[in-house]
Amino acid sequence: MNLASLLSKDRVNLSLKPGKKDDVINDLVYSIKKGNDAALIVSTLLKREELGSTGIGKGIAIPHCRSLAVEKLEIAVGRTSKPINFNSIDKKPVSLIFLIIAPPQDPGNQYLITLGKIVQIAKEITKKNLIQKAKTPDEFIAMINEIEKSLTKRK
Amino acid sequence: MSDVVEMHLKLLFDLDNLIADTEEPSYKKMGFQLEEEASLVLIRKRNELLQQLPKEIAQIYEILKKRYRQAIAPVESEFCLGCFQKLPTELITRSQNITTCPNCGRILYWRKK
Repeated sequence: MNLASLLSKDRVNLSLKPGKKDDVINDLVYSIKKGNDAALIVSTLLKREELGSTGIGKGIAIPHCRSLAVEKLEIAVGRTSKPINFNSIDKKPVSLIFLIIAPPQDPGNQYLITLGKIVQIAKEITKKNLIQKAKTPDEFIAMINEIEKSLTKRK
Repeated sequence: MSDVVEMHLKLLFDLDNLIADTEEPSYKKMGFQLEEEASLVLIRKRNELLQQLPKEIAQIYEILKKRYRQAIAPVESEFCLGCFQKLPTELITRSQNITTCPNCGRILYWRKK
């Protein structure tokens, strides 16, 4: 499945309010779900963060979990103007966050495949210094599409 | 089932899925940082959640988890997403507190629309 096709421009927030890690996760989750569902997702995501930060280094974090609260794979992207502390592997602050939530029943384990793909794309973004490049959500999705295509060609 | 019990059950389920995913070989290869001690804390936390559930529900949950790995199945368009069987209009309730699939026995969960 093409990652860019899973992104929608209303879920790409390039002016996410900087704040504490938990608040930023909260804001992104509430762009997907509301009420008890959102509370359940936030709780599971924070439990995942307790296992070790999903800040993979060089300014990018990928919080993720499965949750009963969603019916299909949901992705939200947030970029903050000011980097925030995410307790990342390299201890560096984060300004680009890919948040991914998957349903528990997931034919073909699409969740782990997509998560692996996002990790690869994130590494390309940092390697090519593209975190702040896109000016609009459409540009961001187009950029992801390009990176994904170039990664597919390499294989 | 009360809202509190339902929330505990859902949290327990999501936590169990989280623990299971981090044990997948493909997940480990992705390079996320995982602290072993934290994993033990999560297991302790799931056990605490289990104890907070009514005994009967906790027992059913554990039996189903052992049998299927995932004890709860969402319902979609009148189908149990655990066994993909259509559910009867009037569901058989095997317990006074929870609704289970008459075919596979998984605890059924209706997502709020």
